[in-house]
Amino acid sequence: MPRPALDRVQRWMQAVIVHPGTVDDGLRSPAAAAEVPGAGVEDIVRPSARLTAAQRVGIYHGMYLGRMVEALESDYPALQRLLGADGFADLVRDYVQAHPSRSYTLNRLGDHLPEFIATAPRLRRRGFCHDLARLERAMSHVFDEEETPALTPEAIAAVPASAWEGARLHPIAAFRLLAVRHPVNAYVDATRGDGRSAPQRGQRQGGVAVYRRMYGVFRLDLSPPAHALLEALAAGATIGEAVGRVLARGGRATVAAEDLFRWFREWVAEGIFRAVTVEGRG
Amino acid sequence: MRGNRFGLPDLGVGVGLRTVHFGHILARQPEVDWFEVLSENFLDTGGRPLHVLDQVAERYPVVLHGVSLSIGSVDPLDRDYLRKLKALARRTRARWVSDHLCWTGVRGRNVHDLLPMPYTEEALRHTTERVRQASDILERPLVLENASSYVEFAASTMPESEFLARLARDADCGLLLDVNNVYVSAFNHGFDAGAYIDAMPADRVVQYHLAGHTHHGTHIVDTHSDHAVPEVWQLYARACRRTGPVSTLYEWDENIPAFDVMHAEALKARAYRTHVMAAAG
Repeated sequence: MPRPALDRVQRWMQAVIVHPGTVDDGLRSPAAAAEVPGAGVEDIVRPSARLTAAQRVGIYHGMYLGRMVEALESDYPALQRLLGADGFADLVRDYVQAHPSRSYTLNRLGDHLPEFIATAPRLRRRGFCHDLARLERAMSHVFDEEETPALTPEAIAAVPASAWEGARLHPIAAFRLLAVRHPVNAYVDATRGDGRSAPQRGQRQGGVAVYRRMYGVFRLDLSPPAHALLEALAAGATIGEAVGRVLARGGRATVAAEDLFRWFREWVAEGIFRAVTVEGRG
Repeated sequence: MRGNRFGLPDLGVGVGLRTVHFGHILARQPEVDWFEVLSENFLDTGGRPLHVLDQVAERYPVVLHGVSLSIGSVDPLDRDYLRKLKALARRTRARWVSDHLCWTGVRGRNVHDLLPMPYTEEALRHTTERVRQASDILERPLVLENASSYVEFAASTMPESEFLARLARDADCGLLLDVNNVYVSAFNHGFDAGAYIDAMPADRVVQYHLAGHTHHGTHIVDTHSDHAVPEVWQLYARACRRTGPVSTLYEWDENIPAFDVMHAEALKARAYRTHVMAAAG
């Protein structure tokens, strides 16, 4: 039979190696057959002295999923620990069928994984996995974000006391804020510690701030009112507006003034903000 | 003695810049001739990797080596990728930019593997045109590496060595001759590795790669996970006799050892080069 053209060879090869089943499943798949109708694998690939043509294509087929698993393991190590090697590989197999890499970098391969998990039908502890994947994605994004200098003590001192209520605090680029329902931050800590971690149940969380300081990625657990306050600030509210919203939601009984001061001090010290602006002062 | 037609320098013997060695390199500033950098790891990040690369490029010569150009693919060239690559090359003052003779995906998909070409006249024309386009965008001659491979296509009408040599001439590009890949593919496909080395146009070879591999009995996989085998060193010496001293890089990407172990393997290349040159008088 006539030799297939370059475009058909490449589409055939790709169809086979990304097939989620065995290489033989891939070779028999409609996607592969559509490219070279009526052709057998040996019409396209030569056997070697030691391997059949199918076995040779199988080398690429086998390496494909392994490479995807390895790439996602590096971005989602705690999720991999939670699901175990086989469970994680099953998830990746399904995921890359729905969201194959379309980028020159593998760094963004996992960008859709949390949303994929949210609808994955066979996943145990789906809610916990979803929160965990969102947290690990945030860590990955923060790792790669642009570097922006943090707010300096001089910039803070330049704001008159009377102006703080109307001031806005702007977070650094390498900052993400998540609302979480499960204690996934503690789970990440545990997977990095003694290795005998298990997800805790029933402990409802407010949120987690993920940020970078001196090129290291850090995480901060936030109570519900602290999360609400930081969320309002990050969305552009003035300090007065943000505090007002928190107090209106939880009441003064749940948030003391010293809590507010403590949170602000901690967030500024951690370098979460890059600038403070006051109406009319630029 | 000799030298390549592009006037690109012999940088000596270098190693790949790997994340696990960042701390060692910044703290110790080891005596290394140059570093090769995996381009894609630094294209879309403003974090620590780029911060480290800036410091490395300040002290050492750097060469960019990519895996996603997909120069042989029938998909359109990714011009956004090439523009970012050009910017990174400028930022790091990269001595040259290399990638592989391969394709990495079609229909907008990237399988992130270095997939082999069918060695046909059609593929040669197609790839030649794309190398020219990529070189124009980068504003420098592209340098292409022979990838290791595990299949041969029935459609091929010429050996890989002829395809690569003709491509280099027709597209006016440089060659990164990976000696380990020649050895791996020679075993997998049953061709003569020495003849392949001899078929390379010596004046277009601007860099060598050396690495270890994993032998599975029926085939060899290019894993960059070990020391190079003696046969690869012999092929390297044979290549050096043809080209004279050419920038050489030792690759180690799996089971990466301590920096000094990896660097020691690279320094063996220096000894080979010196011996070959001394023997040549």
